[in-house]
Amino acid sequence: MSDNTHQHRPNALSRFTAWLMHHLQSLVFSLGKAYRSPSATLMTVAVIAITLTLPSGFYLLLKNIQTISGDLRSSTQISLFLDMKLSLENALQFNTQLQQRPDIATTQFISRTQALTEFKQSSGFGKSLDHVKDNPLPHTIIVSPASQLDTLAIKTLLSKLESLAEVDIAKLDTEWLEKLFTIVEIAKRSVIIISLLFSFAVLLIIGNTIRLDIQNRYQEIVVTKLIGATNAFIRRPFLYSGVWYGLFGGLLSWLIIELSILVLSGPFDSLNLLYQSQFTIISFSFSDFLIIICCSTLLGLAGSWLAVARHLNEIEPK
Amino acid sequence: MIQFHNITKRYPGGYEALNNVSLNLQAGEMAFLTGHSGAGKSTLLKIISLIEKPTRGQAILNQINLNNLPNSRIPYIRRNIGFIFQDHQLLFDRTVFDNVALPLIIQGYHHTEIARRTRAALDKVGLLHKEKSLPITLSGGEQQRVGIARAVVHKPMLLLADEPTGNLDPVLSREIMQIFIDFHQVGVTVLVASHDLSLIEELQKPVVTLNRGKIIHNDLEPVDV
Repeated sequence: MSDNTHQHRPNALSRFTAWLMHHLQSLVFSLGKAYRSPSATLMTVAVIAITLTLPSGFYLLLKNIQTISGDLRSSTQISLFLDMKLSLENALQFNTQLQQRPDIATTQFISRTQALTEFKQSSGFGKSLDHVKDNPLPHTIIVSPASQLDTLAIKTLLSKLESLAEVDIAKLDTEWLEKLFTIVEIAKRSVIIISLLFSFAVLLIIGNTIRLDIQNRYQEIVVTKLIGATNAFIRRPFLYSGVWYGLFGGLLSWLIIELSILVLSGPFDSLNLLYQSQFTIISFSFSDFLIIICCSTLLGLAGSWLAVARHLNEIEPK
Repeated sequence: MIQFHNITKRYPGGYEALNNVSLNLQAGEMAFLTGHSGAGKSTLLKIISLIEKPTRGQAILNQINLNNLPNSRIPYIRRNIGFIFQDHQLLFDRTVFDNVALPLIIQGYHHTEIARRTRAALDKVGLLHKEKSLPITLSGGEQQRVGIARAVVHKPMLLLADEPTGNLDPVLSREIMQIFIDFHQVGVTVLVASHDLSLIEELQKPVVTLNRGKIIHNDLEPVDV
């Protein structure tokens, strides 16, 4: 009767198949249990989904801000207002010189006549400017620095360009960009903190749900243990319950955010129209989606594991 | 099969359920454990089935010392025991068949083997025709017989019963006891805790009597030292 020499024991292959079957059974059984009490399940899933929606929503907001600010950074430009005394030929020649510099990606030349025409069109002063005899605007070159330049190198470029004789004023407005990047960095860390806190909340919610489930089936657990079930065997259906809660919670939170984006995209489009900008709301990428689902499922598993481990230990011999 | 060497079990709070109990139940023997409620019968069975650990003394089950067994091995030891509870402890959310099959499922038997053995066990207790019923629809005696079928389905070498006839009338009680005797006759070691003294006397098996945690009467062989 020793515990490893029983003549009626099933062989290893049979035990493995049985183990696999029990996993499958627990998977289906826990899903069935969730299905049989739809209101309770739905409430738990909704709480988990809402809890997950906050960090993932913040993450998406941050992602959008980063994209916008990234666009702004890559659009950093230096405006060179050339000396008023420079002729058109000299100015064009200077433009060609600039284009050959390695620290400059592209330039855009705007002649004074061109500048005046544009100004007339966009400023709304229109005809009243026809009375101005002398064009007060200089030739302008808009310089886009080479993309590998960082903020400091751009500033060096700026002072180099300003010192050139042809240039009257060189202008670069980056201070507000710096501020924006700092704010984005703060937001990024806040999102991490919020995500950790809310993940912990999900862990507790699932742990508590599983704990109630264990209490309801306490007698069954005791009996199953007495007839020789291992802890792993008893744990399995509860762990799958946790996995389902996490999975459905994650899916629902993803759905909530996608719907929110749909609701927000209308006003956002009108805003784009007003500001003549082309920003669009970025939704979750497929990998973001996978990360959210994986994280919520893992949280479900971890939450139920904690609850089950704690309560199974209470039934050990004393 | 079961050897108790000077077992004492004291619960937190100082209550002493067993006091210096020594016992030797040999393989293939059948014995009754009697005594008033609170005499320590259940505690003794709980120590064998590894629900409780003795405070002092050694408990040995088939040459395995139960005192310092790691928790991870306990399930495998328990698989050699068939346990019958007073209130049968059936799971009411599944059929009679599923209740009886549980020990086999736990031990990883193939499903054809599970079906064969489960039906054989149900047949043994005369309830094969009820395999698809839910336990709640059965009478008290039938429920207890389902409990017995579950305890023997995996062919354990030791059968422990805690007041198996406690809630049954004399006729049913005799039927249940007869099932235990049948198992004993095919070589299973059986230990039944009961206070149904008239029935025990009728069956003429060795009796161990406990009183306030001490053995006051013992028909079994003494413990070899």
